[in-house]
Amino acid sequence: MIEIRLNRGLYEAMLTSLRRPHSFAYERVGFAVARRVEASTGSSLIIVSEFIPVADEHYIDDPNVGARIGTEALTIASRRIYHGRSRAEGIFHVHEHGHTGEPILSRTDARELPSLIPGFKSVGPTGPHGLIIWSLDNASAWVWLPAEGKPLQVDKISIIGAPISIVQRRSS
Amino acid sequence: MSMERTSRQSFLGPESDSKIASVTVGVVGLGGGGSHIVQQLAHIGFRNFVIYDDDVVEDSNLNRLVGGTSTDALSELPKLFVAKRVIFHLVPDAIIRAFPLKWQECPQPLRECHIVFGCVDSYQGRAELEVSCRRYLAHYVDVGMDVHGSDPPVVGGQVVQSSPGGACMRCMGFLTSDRLAKEAARYGDVGARPQVVWPNGVLASTAVGLGVDLVCDWTNIRRPAEYLVYDGNKGTITRSITLRNLNLEVCPHFLTSDVGEPIELEL
Amino acid sequence: MNYPLEQVEELKTYCSKLLYFEEAGYPYFRMVGLRLPPGCSPAEIEALFCPVDRGDGYPSRLFFPEQVSTPYQRNWHVNVRLGERNWVAYSWKVALANRSLADGLLELLISLTRP
Repeated sequence: MIEIRLNRGLYEAMLTSLRRPHSFAYERVGFAVARRVEASTGSSLIIVSEFIPVADEHYIDDPNVGARIGTEALTIASRRIYHGRSRAEGIFHVHEHGHTGEPILSRTDARELPSLIPGFKSVGPTGPHGLIIWSLDNASAWVWLPAEGKPLQVDKISIIGAPISIVQRRSS
Repeated sequence: MSMERTSRQSFLGPESDSKIASVTVGVVGLGGGGSHIVQQLAHIGFRNFVIYDDDVVEDSNLNRLVGGTSTDALSELPKLFVAKRVIFHLVPDAIIRAFPLKWQECPQPLRECHIVFGCVDSYQGRAELEVSCRRYLAHYVDVGMDVHGSDPPVVGGQVVQSSPGGACMRCMGFLTSDRLAKEAARYGDVGARPQVVWPNGVLASTAVGLGVDLVCDWTNIRRPAEYLVYDGNKGTITRSITLRNLNLEVCPHFLTSDVGEPIELEL
Repeated sequence: MNYPLEQVEELKTYCSKLLYFEEAGYPYFRMVGLRLPPGCSPAEIEALFCPVDRGDGYPSRLFFPEQVSTPYQRNWHVNVRLGERNWVAYSWKVALANRSLADGLLELLISLTRP
């Protein structure tokens, strides 16, 4: 069982940032910094502590996709993992789909996002890395744990605040 | 759980049943306060429990241990078993992880909780639970009662909600140096404190009410913190003056970035 | 961390490895391989040194993973959870005011052997 947990204040700041209009990008992207802890046997808790939005100027104008970010954005993300490697921090690519219901990886997401992970792993080999996709009322996430080659779909995403919001994967 | 069972709590919101069912609650201490809390949570429909108590039922508990029986006292049944019995009788498919230990001896399951109800005797114990909840992003709801003085005795208590990002028990003036120092001077021995069922009931109900609101948001109040003071002589619960006067943007004691296991700097 | 570098360096001489963390706003030095005074057992042990009053009236505290055997009986009543580990401590008050970290630590260590 894998659960991602974040503070409501951070979640709301994240969404506010992701929903800001951009001069040409249809979607915005950011990176969530997280650490993994063991909960019960076989259960992992991934706690998000920070959100790094991609700066306006680091988007590339590509009308074929919702958002394309340049190497500068990835460098900043990689640098953040590098500085956090002694704390076993990892990084999650975050964006939002503008619909309700459980988000799935779009064709572009599925083609391009997993290819970011080996780079993140090389810089922060002990951290959890992955993807989080928010929808207007739901979320999905995938994590690549240090020892695992393949991604694991996150079972639960919990936003802790007043109120608590929990998104649970239907099949878990 | 049948819809009929929760039909009278539909005011909690259209998805309240599923919200309640998805939350994991922890109850640390299953004595006078914790036994009430466990019962109420089960009645409402919570089904994921992590519970801790290393004690057994004694005759002296029966004036307040909800679910406890004379037979339990005779057989020195672990309080944990009483709590499990109460829960299972109401929620037969509940998932209960029960530990006949102090939570510090097996802390990892507590990390899975979204809300932890602390029903412990010591201030140090409360402080430690709060730290754990802040590390793993859980709400901490503390309950406690005391009787002091005489002629007449004064019954008091509190319910405190300490939530990630919000004021902590130190900010709210509940965990004070004075209280901790006095406890330390007694070498941590809190003694056999007077305890009776009805103040425990009031406080437990108030705590559960806060918990349900955190899950269902039915009041729209959205408390970042709460400190309610119980006057058992007057029969009142009022918000603590310290909290009322607290003008705090950010808790200085718990950084929101300080989550997970401790971040150590090698010197 | 707001301690002068020279004091930290001095503290390092008492152990094989020195780490620092904060919890609930309080500072802790985790000292791996802290050398205990003669007469104590074990000779070396991990310890957690808190150089401030954590609100319990003790100006500083030295915590260990387990009770240390000492020449004279100490009051080992303190059981706490700090930095996601369980620790024990004995009752002895040492104020650090106007003292360096190492001086305070030394006083706490000597207190293990005082009658």
